[in-house]
Amino acid sequence: MSAPVHERQNPAFYALMTALIVMSLGPIVLMLSNSFKLNVDIMSDTSSLLFLPTLKNYETVLCNTLWYTPKHVEYCNPTFGWALGNSLIIAIISTAITLVTGCMAAYAIVRFRFLGRGSLSMTTLLMRMVPPAVLLVPVFGIWTFNYCWGDECLDGTYTGIILVYVAMNLPFVIWILQSFIVQVPIQLEEAARMDGANPFQVFYLVLLPVIKPGLAAASIFTFRIAWNEFLLADALLDRKTRTVPVTIVNSLTEHDIDWGVIMATGTLLAIPPIIFTFVASKQIIIGMTAGAVKG
Amino acid sequence: MPNIVFEKVEKSYGAVQVLPPLDLSIDDGEFTVLVGPSGCGKSTTLRILAGLENLSGGEIYFDERPISALAPKERDVAMVFQDYALYPHMNIARNMSFALRLQRVPAAEINKKVRGVAEMLNIAHLLERKPAELSGGQRQRVAMGRALVRDASTFLFDEPLSNLDAKLRAKMRIELAEMRNALDKNMVYVTHDQIEAMTLGDRIVVMSEGVIQQQGSPEELFTRPANKFVAGFISSPTMNFFDGELVLEKDVLWARGTGFLLQISPEQTQRLNGHAQRNVSVGVRPSAFSSDPAVGSPIELELVVSEYLGAQSVLVTRCGGKDILVEIEGRAPGTAGTVMTFGVPQKDIMLFDQESGGRL
Ligand SMILES: Nc1ncnc2c1ncn2[C@@H]1O[C@H](COP(=O)(O)OP(=O)(O)O)[C@@H](O)[C@H]1O
Ligand SMILES: [Mg+2]
Repeated sequence: MSAPVHERQNPAFYALMTALIVMSLGPIVLMLSNSFKLNVDIMSDTSSLLFLPTLKNYETVLCNTLWYTPKHVEYCNPTFGWALGNSLIIAIISTAITLVTGCMAAYAIVRFRFLGRGSLSMTTLLMRMVPPAVLLVPVFGIWTFNYCWGDECLDGTYTGIILVYVAMNLPFVIWILQSFIVQVPIQLEEAARMDGANPFQVFYLVLLPVIKPGLAAASIFTFRIAWNEFLLADALLDRKTRTVPVTIVNSLTEHDIDWGVIMATGTLLAIPPIIFTFVASKQIIIGMTAGAVKG
Repeated sequence: MPNIVFEKVEKSYGAVQVLPPLDLSIDDGEFTVLVGPSGCGKSTTLRILAGLENLSGGEIYFDERPISALAPKERDVAMVFQDYALYPHMNIARNMSFALRLQRVPAAEINKKVRGVAEMLNIAHLLERKPAELSGGQRQRVAMGRALVRDASTFLFDEPLSNLDAKLRAKMRIELAEMRNALDKNMVYVTHDQIEAMTLGDRIVVMSEGVIQQQGSPEELFTRPANKFVAGFISSPTMNFFDGELVLEKDVLWARGTGFLLQISPEQTQRLNGHAQRNVSVGVRPSAFSSDPAVGSPIELELVVSEYLGAQSVLVTRCGGKDILVEIEGRAPGTAGTVMTFGVPQKDIMLFDQESGGRL
């Protein structure tokens, strides 16, 4: 008989919720709708919601990767297409390196007894306390003048920025993975050793699969930082290696701002992290060690 | 199946010595049970044997071959852990086949072995499931199965039944006993439960505080305990100890204390002739009391609580300020406060030195 009783909420609560939703979704909706508009529609102040959707902006952005040449594009500017590729390469490689080194470091810190283990673990976190802007000047100097092979210096290269991103994200990744690894019962590893696994097999076949949720969380975090980072990318990358955030900001010139194209780029910029987060978060399940040992 | 010999094996954690030098030999094809109270070093001994723990001194030999430097995988031992330690990300079949897959055994052979063991343990229908989807008892069987699919020469069990409820434990105990007879392997089994030890062991090693108190067959330990600790540990309910002294009167030895005067058998009298006046602990098992006071020496006990178990009752009684357990058939004859007289047969009296605890 009794229907579930919902407590009647204060109207102010709903107002607050609505405000929060509008605040967080508003810019995204604006970006998405504007990316399908012509510049005339964007600029006109009447018909902000009534417009004929067009894919022209996207065609302009991706003109050099399309199999056909869009009719409206007189000069195909390849910058955005390249920037998207650069962003993907840099974010994926730096995430991969960070995870691989991070999980091994975290494992060593948790399971091995060695001198300075505690302080090492603390130091990794200390490094997070330095804001990236502080790193900017010294890193720029070192990358430009100290690490050169012939004419090639580290600045402006994928390697240079990837190294910086790995260094920036590693402490945090080590820190999260540590907290996942300490939860793995040591008996699991002992059982694997008894079953004849060598240390690498214990690590790769037993430990890593068990801490997959931790790896997923860490990879989302790392990927997003590398993907969004602007300050260091702006300073360290050159015309050929620039990432999307830098390219967008650079296209905001004084004489001509193509809002439609910028919105389309912004939308494209948002897609990879969304896909990545969806895929990775599938791995985040609660109770990773459920059933391993008696609770 | 090697003969395993521990020679002066020691283990310390920092300054804490967990195992003082320990000598032990485990014969080929025996089912050896290490039993002792919690914290006495049983697991440590087993883990040293498995190679999971380094020893601080001494050496272990498998058929005269020193093995303390070998990694676990080189020792050819399989182990069942107290908390199961199943790989949570693998299904049961893969859990059980992990060791074989590492050894690169052909898939067909792996399948056959896993099936065979799973059928023996009644878990064949669970092979596709993950450990999280099993009950405690099923996980326990899987843990057992994972060890058994390996053709290891020696199997180690660390309190494998301690996480099960009483009924399931009793059932598994019987199944284990059955399996033990079917498999002709070295097995070393650790438990704190003396019933498990008595049912399963060909040979029982009783430990206390890292020291082996006595080893032998279940009957030996029960009928001829070497000291008070073993006598108290190997019986359920536990043995009663009366503190008193020996007195010699007219060539008959008596044990005397507050509330009791027990006559010692002629054989013991002869053996303990010179020990009159000595302070002793008199051990009498709860089941030894006879309801007929004329059997042996009479003793008066005041009933405190009676635990009725169906066929028998365990009475908690008091004698000279000490609690004494008595096991009788059927119900208690009276209520709390009733004073009853029992007979203590001479043959059931064990004498121990009060200080050292050694059997006299
Ligand atoms: N890693 C360790 N560090 C320090 N002390 C330990 C360690 N492992 C076990 N001990 C100590 O060793 C003693 C024996 O432990 P254990 O062998 O596990 O006993 P049990 O007989 O209950 O299996 C205990 O007193 C325990 O506190
Ligand atoms: Mg133990």
